[in-house]
Amino acid sequence: MSALDALFDDLVADTDAVLLFSPDAATVREFEAEDTPAVVVDQENDAGADQFVELPLSFTEVTGRLRFGLEGAIRQGLIEEGDTAVCVTSVFGDGMDAAVRVESAEFTQTGLYDLFVNSRADPSVVRDVFDVAIELGQKGQKGKPVGALFVVGDAGKVMNKSRPLSYNPFEKSHVHVGDPIVNVMLKEFSRLDGAFVISDSGKIVSAYRYLEPSAEGVDIPKGLGARHMAAGAITRDTNAIAIVLSESDGMVRAFKGGELVFELDPEEY
Amino acid sequence: MQIEFQRLLRSLSEETALVAAIVVLIVGLLLAYYVRRWIHRMAGRVGITGAVEGTPFERTARNFGTSTVGIVGWLAALFVYVGAVILALQFVDLLRVELFWSQVTSYLPRVFVAILALIVGLIAGDKAKLVVAERLRSVKLPEAGLIPELVKYSIVYIATLIALGQIGVDTLALLVLLAAYAFGLVFLSAVAFRDLLAASAAGIYVLLAEPYAIGNEVRVDGKRGIVQEINVFVTHIESDGEVYVVPNQHVLRSGVVRFRE
Repeated sequence: MSALDALFDDLVADTDAVLLFSPDAATVREFEAEDTPAVVVDQENDAGADQFVELPLSFTEVTGRLRFGLEGAIRQGLIEEGDTAVCVTSVFGDGMDAAVRVESAEFTQTGLYDLFVNSRADPSVVRDVFDVAIELGQKGQKGKPVGALFVVGDAGKVMNKSRPLSYNPFEKSHVHVGDPIVNVMLKEFSRLDGAFVISDSGKIVSAYRYLEPSAEGVDIPKGLGARHMAAGAITRDTNAIAIVLSESDGMVRAFKGGELVFELDPEEY
Repeated sequence: MQIEFQRLLRSLSEETALVAAIVVLIVGLLLAYYVRRWIHRMAGRVGITGAVEGTPFERTARNFGTSTVGIVGWLAALFVYVGAVILALQFVDLLRVELFWSQVTSYLPRVFVAILALIVGLIAGDKAKLVVAERLRSVKLPEAGLIPELVKYSIVYIATLIALGQIGVDTLALLVLLAAYAFGLVFLSAVAFRDLLAASAAGIYVLLAEPYAIGNEVRVDGKRGIVQEINVFVTHIESDGEVYVVPNQHVLRSGVVRFRE
């Protein structure tokens, strides 16, 4: 098996940093004793590692998870652009079973980390909205596939660039996304047309909003519908981000600055 | 009642009295056993066993091979049994010094309540400390570590006062201390939280009546912008990348100008 060993040696040669995805505490200790800096990427910093990137979702899809970890490490200055990083993660099952070599110079950042951490809205709010969208994508509304558009953050500007389609069911109610009962309400209201507007702190400002930003020059992949176009346009005109559940293909997509940043399949969660 | 009972005792023959005493002892033993069982079952059902889990008192109890519920159970059983023993002694007329024993019998429940108050106080203190510490965990400030301790010892102090009061120790000096402490706490927090109280009182009106909503263009205190966020204490008004965080009492005091487009 020397050929395999050689191949693996090539894979891990000259690494500047190691990214450990969801490692156990013993592994973290071993790596921290080494010279090569080790960055722990996990949902919670159980091992108490110094260099830590917090995952907001469990990211069942491997590329999304690696991308988030790498962008997070670069943005936090834990690894430098141009460094060669080796990501150790799990592809099947729970244990770490794969090593991926990434030249961060050749790796284009899509802003996935920025979407969560550097948005106007709190990271926990973004995560909660993602959770609602994913759950809605999995179950649909009474078993039927349903679409939804959540505009998160910069609510004042969003409200000024939209108009009500009907009475706002959330008027004078001070409810926040992430509350289990509120998530049920959101799911019930998802059959309404229009967008949900959610403030920086997670307060649900309105449902039933018709967004009217100028869609001129918004570049989103062809084949996506009006809901995605509205989402792209509103994030370009304001500092909000938009999270869209597609009715036709069931994917959850996130937009920021007028561009599609991230998409995931709810069925994989 | 007491007199009649005494008369009844005297009317009994010596053998009957002995038998009655033994019966009382056995019934007391059984009763004590069932009280203990019942406490264990009830503690499990109403979730006391789970609630005391992880408190230092429970851990200390575990080190001695028992648990909080076990200690309370034993205490209750002991209380019932000692009561039975005293009753039995009365039957066999061994209680010559009646005055002394009547004092003991009236004293016993108080001791029991005192010990119970102490245990409940210790556990409530530990539990409150854990809850407050959990709440403050996101506050990464070394000084914040003092607050949970303070909460814990305040509760333990009050529990000790109750316990001492039960067994008849003079607690006046300690009560004065408690009053001074409570007054200091109330006074200081009234001074420290004056602005927060004013802001939240105004905030309740602003949230309930919604004189302006997120997305409205308003002017408060000469600052004009779009309302981005309203919570109990403050209102965020944004214009041209600047966010004014206006305390809610300013909103009420100086009024709001709302612009219609």
